[in-house]
Amino acid sequence: MTITHLASPVTVNWGITARCNFVCSHCFSRLDQAPELSSEDARRVVDILADHSVMFLNYGTGEPLLRKDLFELTAYATAKGLKVTMNSNGSLIDEAAADRIRDAGFHGVGISIDSADPATHDAFRRMPGSFDKAVRAARLLRERGVPLSISSVICKINHTGFPELVSLARSFGAHTIDLHNFKCSGMGGLNKDQLDLSPDEWKAFYESAVPMRESVTDIDIAFDDPILSLLGAEDKAALVSGSVCGKLSLYVKPDGEITPCGFIPITIGHILRDDFGTMWESSPVLDHLRHKSATGKCSGCSKFSACLGGCTARALAVYGSLEAPDPHCWAEEAEK
Amino acid sequence: MMRPERNPAIVWRLEKKHYDEAWEAARNDEEDFDDKGVLTLMIKGGIHQLNLVGAEIWTRIDGTKDDAAIAAEMAELFGWEPGETVEAVRAFLEGIASRGWVTLS
Repeated sequence: MTITHLASPVTVNWGITARCNFVCSHCFSRLDQAPELSSEDARRVVDILADHSVMFLNYGTGEPLLRKDLFELTAYATAKGLKVTMNSNGSLIDEAAADRIRDAGFHGVGISIDSADPATHDAFRRMPGSFDKAVRAARLLRERGVPLSISSVICKINHTGFPELVSLARSFGAHTIDLHNFKCSGMGGLNKDQLDLSPDEWKAFYESAVPMRESVTDIDIAFDDPILSLLGAEDKAALVSGSVCGKLSLYVKPDGEITPCGFIPITIGHILRDDFGTMWESSPVLDHLRHKSATGKCSGCSKFSACLGGCTARALAVYGSLEAPDPHCWAEEAEK
Repeated sequence: MMRPERNPAIVWRLEKKHYDEAWEAARNDEEDFDDKGVLTLMIKGGIHQLNLVGAEIWTRIDGTKDDAAIAAEMAELFGWEPGETVEAVRAFLEGIASRGWVTLS
């Protein structure tokens, strides 16, 4: 049995800063350099999320370690009961930073590595030497017992090489490798033709990756993509249909504006100026995402009740519509 | 006799609004009072929910109470027959132990 949404988000993804020392080919936020909140306001954000029993607070967007008050803010959030995680490119994690990450109480850290081949990773991240720094960060974190995951954006550069990525993540002692599907937002939109896979390529990727996820037991292979329902491989314990955005999670931009997810640039309010609970319950945009209608090839599709049209962010980026079918969807009329 | 301990890797929360609604339904003798998820658990990226009865058992697991102690509290809470309640609590604990949510000693 699925529900439309929970009483408050399970996870809030927080773009704690838009500043970054990398210029990655796929970055969704590079073109939206919002100013960041002060330390005082950042603590108010934590207070609001804790008051609403949000379970996980995940820092991302720019490079979180560029924010000077990161560790103090994290200690504040963990003391409030939030499980704080972070996505980092790893370049700023030396021994001292790894110590501070451990001491601040991070629930986990995700390090971005997009290819097991150093040159390919460095080219994608547009930063020579970034692979070696990411590997160093991963090892330093594990040496200190910080729960580690490896984050990879699946796209043209790695869609057939993901088993090597899994092996690499395993060698670090990562508990999970997150295989994120490419989103054509921001820089990703500008580089879509060079990076995004065709629907048939997405199908081939998942037809390889899903069996691997089922058979590998020493590391979790995670991917969150509503179009997996096409393979009958949707999460059996899924609480909600389709994407989790606006149903189990929200995104807070560096300046405090709230959007359903980082890839859907539709502001539904401001975390410090609007009532969080009212926004979560009553936002027309969130209501729309929770009760999508089938259009185009989704009409009459037997999978629609499970996928709700797939990823709304991708549909919006490619077709300019929240209702449009997911451009990654490989289903044809005959498969309905 | 078994003493359950929660898996510390599990992050969970009570869905207060849904919990209150479920209790309201239970007090009104509505048959579907335990259909709704009132406690959310996250484990290894997966998300699960417990209904009212499951949540009341889960929140009583503190590493010190055994199955009989939890069952006694549940029987009083719901007005159930104690003997049947012990069996039901044991079955629930064994079920969530098989999922790795608790260990039984």
